[in-house]
Amino acid sequence: MAIKTILCIEDDRFIGEMYVRSLKKAGYDVDWVVDGNDGLITARNKQYDVILLDVMLPERRGTEILDALRGGKEDLIPKTHVIVLTNFQQDDESRIAMQKHADAYLIKAEITPKKLISVIEKLDDRAVTP
Amino acid sequence: MDVKKAPKLASQFWPEFIKRKIVLVVLIQIFISLTVGAVLIFSDAVDDNPLWLWVIVSSLFIVQLVVSVLVVISITRPTKDLLAAIINVSGEQPKLPLPNPNTTANEQTGFRDALQTIYQLSADKDQGKSVEKIKLAEQNNSLISDALDMTNCGFIALDKNRKVVYSNKTAPVHIDSQGEKIINLIFNGSDTLNAWLDECAENSVHDEHLWTRIPDHLPNEEGRRFFDVIASYQKGSATETVLTLFNRTDSYVVDEENLDFISFAAHELRGPITVIKGYLDVLEDELSDVLKDDQPELFHRLVVSSNRLSGYIDNILNTSRYDRRHLKMNLSEDTVASIYDTISDDMKLRAGAQNRLLSVSFPADLPTIAADRASIGEVLGNLIDNAIKYSNEGGLIRVDAKANGDFVDISVADNGIGMPESVVSQLFQKFYRSHRSRETVAGSGIGLYISKAIVESHGGKISVRSEDGHGSTFTVSLPIYATVADKLKAEDNSNEGLINEGNGWIKNHSMYRS
Repeated sequence: MAIKTILCIEDDRFIGEMYVRSLKKAGYDVDWVVDGNDGLITARNKQYDVILLDVMLPERRGTEILDALRGGKEDLIPKTHVIVLTNFQQDDESRIAMQKHADAYLIKAEITPKKLISVIEKLDDRAVTP
Repeated sequence: MDVKKAPKLASQFWPEFIKRKIVLVVLIQIFISLTVGAVLIFSDAVDDNPLWLWVIVSSLFIVQLVVSVLVVISITRPTKDLLAAIINVSGEQPKLPLPNPNTTANEQTGFRDALQTIYQLSADKDQGKSVEKIKLAEQNNSLISDALDMTNCGFIALDKNRKVVYSNKTAPVHIDSQGEKIINLIFNGSDTLNAWLDECAENSVHDEHLWTRIPDHLPNEEGRRFFDVIASYQKGSATETVLTLFNRTDSYVVDEENLDFISFAAHELRGPITVIKGYLDVLEDELSDVLKDDQPELFHRLVVSSNRLSGYIDNILNTSRYDRRHLKMNLSEDTVASIYDTISDDMKLRAGAQNRLLSVSFPADLPTIAADRASIGEVLGNLIDNAIKYSNEGGLIRVDAKANGDFVDISVADNGIGMPESVVSQLFQKFYRSHRSRETVAGSGIGLYISKAIVESHGGKISVRSEDGHGSTFTVSLPIYATVADKLKAEDNSNEGLINEGNGWIKNHSMYRS
């Protein structure tokens, strides 16, 4: 299963554009939404291989989105990898709760587009050879 | 009046009373017998035979006496029994023989009920008395603890096994699942109560120690308080250690808010940094054919500067986290070489941009260490950054490592300006800047402070050797993985599947914290 489709939920225009530009250049299909509500709706309407999820989002926080998708009895996105991207390292349990439902929890300031692509490639490798 | 006279006892009353009554009865009988005798004499009823007179009077006297005494004994018996019962109930000593209420006679007359009523009074009173006694004892004991509960200071007493044997209301303790009281104090770094007690057990008979700004909960937890803690240790005492805790929440909470602000501001700075670093990374590739002359070098400077900026922000964030007792380490098996790899490009760029030579060599057979990759990367980055700052143009900076007992020593050495011994001891303090560096070198003075905190959170040590004018060598000692593997595995590592890449996720890891 090769990773092809990516949903980027990111409210910062510059950061969102930067990731989308690089990911598209690398050959991925990328959809980008800028607020939490749209993010949750889009994630439920279409199956993505990877969701890049910001935490501090307008309308609905990343924690809530992840909880809505994976916090219930049923995992609504069982085939999707979730990469949490944030610049606000949470000091509390919400971070631990997110880690439980996410495939990676990364600090944006440390993750240049190049590094992000290498992370996604690693997820892909792992999916092929579990 | 003789006040010293012993108090009259109720039990003394009965023999005296019964003696007098018997005497009275005898006298009455004598009087009656004499009267009867006189009447007989004067009435000439017994003629001239005085023998008959004596027989009649004597038998009358004896019969009457016996009957009267029996009657007296019989009618005073309930009185005597009641007295005995009352004396018994009153608790007076010596006791009279206790009357049995369940005799047939008592049952028939109904006197049993009367006696039982008295005995019931006694039982009620005894009960009241014992409750009262316990209350009194409790009152005496709780007088002090009530008083201590009223204060805003915490008091905790530990026995020689370091178990909490007493704590007052204010003291930050909770009761664990085994019902034992556990102290909630979050000490910073290696200066913990347990570490101090270990030292006391070995070296002291009597000692005292002060900690300031010790919180009982993590940030964001409700009712968080700050204490200044004084511990008094007396070897062999029943309460070997006594902790006195001054609640200083009001004055420390302001600092906390400042730290929150710093943390918030530093997080904000990361947004623009993300974009700058990201595009520099992207453009470096895309522009590689376009840049010419000194432009690639200038581009490098942009990269170096943005990386340094990002490193400083991490330092500020980590310091704020550490000061709020919230610096978490995710320790896993790692090699020094692969940790260094994560910062290698950046370091090469930084050294090159400042015209320093960087020589890095790690032996291939170095044991693996237990480390939080991102944090140790930051520590090494800080040390190399310092070495660059405090050395001269063209100077050599050597980074190497060797096994040393249970630890791996990683050292960063420069041939720079060095420092006098007086400075060395203050070096790891927050915001410390040496007299010379204040004038000549830029910096905030938190790099070494946070580096020390990170290394100690690993269970390691950081040290420095320096010679004024001849350079400095900083050494970081980290535990060899094999020596702590068991402890680490005992921790709940539930995030195995996560990607540990870059300065990625941080797991909740509190192994070396208490």
